[in-house]
Amino acid sequence: MKYALYPGCVMPTEQYAYEMSIREVMPKLDVELVDLKGFSCCGEPIKSVNQMLTLTLSARNLAIAEKEGLDIFAPCPICHLALSECKRILDADPAMNERVNKFLEDEGLKYSGTSDIVSTIDLIHDKIGIEKIKKLVKKPLKDLKVATHNGCHLIRPSEIGRPDDSENPQKMDKILKAVGANPLDYPEKLDCCGGLLTANLPEAALTKTGQKLKGVQDQGFDAFIDTCPWCHRQYDSKQTKAGETVAAKLDVPVLYLTQILGLSFGISKDKLGLDLNLSPVEKLAVVGGK
Amino acid sequence: MDNKIGVFVCHCGINIASTVNVKDLVDYAKTLDGVAVSKDYKYMCSDVGANLIKDSIKKNKLDGVVIACCSPRMHEHTFRGVVEAGGINAFNLEIANIREQCSWVHEDKYRATEKAKALVCGAVAKAKLLEPLEPSKIKVNPTALVIGGGIAGIQSALDLAEEGHKVYLVEKSPTIGGRMAQLDKTFPTLDCSSCILTPKMMEVANHSNVELLTYSEVTGVEGSIGNYTVKVNKKARYVDLDKCTGCGDCVEACRLKGRIISEFDEGLGKRSAVYIPFPQAVPLKCTIDKDTCLMLTRGKCGTGPLCVEACDAGAIDFKQKDEEVELNVGAIVVATGYDVLDPSAMHEYGYGRSDDVITTLGMERLINSSGPTSGEILRPSNGEKPKSITYILCVGSRDETECTWCCRIGCMSALKHVYLLKEKLGDDVEINVCYTDIRSFGKGYEEFYRKIRGMKTNFFRGRPSEVRNAGDHMTIDIFDTTTNKLFEIKTDLVVLVPALVPRADSDEFARILRISQSADGFYLEAHPKLRPMDTFTGGTFIAGCCQGPKDIQDSVAQASGAAARAANILSKKELESEPLISCVDEDLCSGCSTCIAICPYNAIELDTEKDGKSHAKVNEALCMGCGACVVSCPSGAMQQKGFKDKQIKPMIEETVKK
Amino acid sequence: MSITDLTSMGEPQTEQRKEINERLRRLQDEISDYCYQCAKCTSGCEAHKLLELEPHKIVALLKRGLIDEMINSEIIWTCMSCFKCRERCPQKVAPVEILFALKNLAVASGKQIPGNYTAMLQSVLSIGLLQDVKSITTKDNKTKTRTDLGLPEISKPADPTKFQMMLSKIAVEKV
Repeated sequence: MKYALYPGCVMPTEQYAYEMSIREVMPKLDVELVDLKGFSCCGEPIKSVNQMLTLTLSARNLAIAEKEGLDIFAPCPICHLALSECKRILDADPAMNERVNKFLEDEGLKYSGTSDIVSTIDLIHDKIGIEKIKKLVKKPLKDLKVATHNGCHLIRPSEIGRPDDSENPQKMDKILKAVGANPLDYPEKLDCCGGLLTANLPEAALTKTGQKLKGVQDQGFDAFIDTCPWCHRQYDSKQTKAGETVAAKLDVPVLYLTQILGLSFGISKDKLGLDLNLSPVEKLAVVGGK
Repeated sequence: MDNKIGVFVCHCGINIASTVNVKDLVDYAKTLDGVAVSKDYKYMCSDVGANLIKDSIKKNKLDGVVIACCSPRMHEHTFRGVVEAGGINAFNLEIANIREQCSWVHEDKYRATEKAKALVCGAVAKAKLLEPLEPSKIKVNPTALVIGGGIAGIQSALDLAEEGHKVYLVEKSPTIGGRMAQLDKTFPTLDCSSCILTPKMMEVANHSNVELLTYSEVTGVEGSIGNYTVKVNKKARYVDLDKCTGCGDCVEACRLKGRIISEFDEGLGKRSAVYIPFPQAVPLKCTIDKDTCLMLTRGKCGTGPLCVEACDAGAIDFKQKDEEVELNVGAIVVATGYDVLDPSAMHEYGYGRSDDVITTLGMERLINSSGPTSGEILRPSNGEKPKSITYILCVGSRDETECTWCCRIGCMSALKHVYLLKEKLGDDVEINVCYTDIRSFGKGYEEFYRKIRGMKTNFFRGRPSEVRNAGDHMTIDIFDTTTNKLFEIKTDLVVLVPALVPRADSDEFARILRISQSADGFYLEAHPKLRPMDTFTGGTFIAGCCQGPKDIQDSVAQASGAAARAANILSKKELESEPLISCVDEDLCSGCSTCIAICPYNAIELDTEKDGKSHAKVNEALCMGCGACVVSCPSGAMQQKGFKDKQIKPMIEETVKK
Repeated sequence: MSITDLTSMGEPQTEQRKEINERLRRLQDEISDYCYQCAKCTSGCEAHKLLELEPHKIVALLKRGLIDEMINSEIIWTCMSCFKCRERCPQKVAPVEILFALKNLAVASGKQIPGNYTAMLQSVLSIGLLQDVKSITTKDNKTKTRTDLGLPEISKPADPTKFQMMLSKIAVEKV
């Protein structure tokens, strides 16, 4: 399997642990990642300012991958939604397609709708498959009680076609079961991290983060697993501050799905960027024990 | 010698006359070859118009009539009567549709008039060549079939039986009674459901004119109005109905007692593999569920089947087989009822995720004294009495992603539950009702709603987004648009009021019955206002929720209506059939049998004469005049009466020429 | 003849309402007219408890055409785009998409863009990304760059001038 890795903005500018773990884990799963030059922001975070800008930026990135004849792997759910929605709109509306392509001409690009888009979840669950994961496990995460967090953009709106069910997403849970962990449903599972409010209401964003994570902590989970760099920034990087908004001392190990997969495959924690996680990941035996 | 024709042009008030120049059209018709008289009148369908036609026929000794007016669907039948009263054959009439096909769809007066002339010209050409036709007579089988033994089916069967018709009542499940048997009380009068239903069940079962076929399914329907042949599969019950006394000893003895989920109790109770769905079942006989019985699934049951041991009457018979029977009936009433939307489709409301989220029918079973808790209201999760019960209305109803329609009973059944729950649990039980609009439209419904409003109930006008588990209870956030506030409800029993949907097998069954469905999947009535119990298939009628969600009163009313419509047919000795059916020119027919294969009504057979030559022969009672054989016939031997090639071709030629 | 909101003396902006509905139809195939105010959106709104956003009210105001009232209000900037309202609406109305359209309209009509959006926009315009690469601090206070971590050079628009030219053209166009 070969995909163009579309990094987006947040992962390659600060969420390095996600990128490192992806670059470690994917080759083990026989996924070849191709780095292309020229990508830009997907436009989704500035959709509030100008939707046309979002649409064109997404089309532009798709066009870059199309040029190389590659499907796109977008690890960030926000990018994944922007690209998927762009494809849906432009493939259905010839007038809009023409308009957007007019903009792309300046850079010598053309969107024609030939590349598909996968996220971390459907790439692992649907394309690679659970069986392959199971075979690679060297350190099963026995009895690790984990809470999964898909991120809003990964599961909603289902009308656009999302990698997992909007109301009962189970693919991440199945992936984690395959490496021996024990994912459990919890009432706050579908809740938002608030991350996109960081632009204008950062306090409110942190409160959303704190509320969800406090729920997870109160229910005694060992770890909290995500796949979204925006969510991860909230839950991991800003965990202490998030705790303050809900008057709680939060102490929940937060890991990217690819990090925990890497650990179970026996990849060293340095290569997976675990020293970049600011949440107490060392609490986990699989991280703490050398 | 061609027929002598009269042309009659109707103004239809201004419907035709404002676009078509009627005087011009009348004058034009007079110029046509074979036309002896041409007249117009404001309303040709009125008495005056009819007399004008009758008098003209007599005065001018006409052989045929062309009426230029509205669609033949509207008044062809009327005008056939008029023509016949005038003294000529009813089928020597041709309608030129100058309303739907002309005045209503055009604006340009000149061109509309020219088109009307062309239509009249063609109609005259055909009318000159029409032949008198006589309707054939079909003998009517006075027996009726009612499919579905719920309250609608029972009512239809009783009405027909009282009229003196023999009725077969076929029911899929082991007992009649349907959904109404699951209910505790009925709204708005709070009648005990079984107390009013059971006498009807007994009455229909004991009626000398009714033959009950329970645990039976209709698998095929052939024939048509007046003479249907229906195949019914009587499923093996593995219990001899003649021997079984309904004592229930086998039910008690069954090795799987209390281990099979009870459909009748909406999954809230358990039964045995051999069972009687409820104490008032009719017939009060046992049935062995072949999908769970150990003998029938594995071929052995411990050291031996305990039911056989327990049954003194020796009624258990594992060797029983399904049996196919054929019924001959003249009319069919379809009353197959509804299903309830499985609310786990809406995962956000927690059905299937929490035991304490149940449906309205589930609550009926909890309230009912013969239900799984003997009428005690207990939380399925822990068997304790709930302190707070929350209803969520419109679950999947009025919803573009599930069911677009209103279920018509949800609001009232929830209000009824409020009353019954307060009665059972005391005034202190907290009851929350999350509604979007309370639709209390029936007789006495609004008054009932007022009564409930006075009963310390928390009405929230809004719809929750989700139901969350919170340890030993659940929480529901609801924005109440009456106070403009968001409330958090902590509750320990949630009742979802789900949409009503067509039966799971309704598509397949529609094909068997050859009836249509509306976009929602329910069976389609021939006209929503004027023929609400008819289908487009003559002699087949619909009643109750198979046509669309409705309450008991409407179901019963429609059931009686459908029975009356069926009796209309069954009470006649014979029916006149439209003579516009196929006929064979035996000289041209080569007996190739193409038409036999294509006929959807099995109305054609091959007739072999003494000289060994064979040709197609039309069974006039079965032919519906669809014309499929006519177009498929390679030699032109098949012709449709009233639409023969030699009549239609000149019509087309003259119309086009004009 | 006319409708006036007596609390604010505002009048419906029928044309703008049509424009928004048209835009939603183009982008999402969904319009607000079918809303029957069950408020399922607000019951589950992630921004409601904290920031008092009432999506059902936004839809109602749009139906009534009171657009000015909304684009002058900060409330439209409280949506965190969790998409629950769109996902669960029984009439397939998408308040979240209406809010995007309203915010776009506010920006287009010269209203101040709140918070960090301007900086994000400028960054996208100049380097194609929301922010430039950061060196980050590990838990034991070591500073690390992409290179330190063995990550390849970041992907950015190859010709910034052409990229900017394209973006500036979009800014003057309406959806």
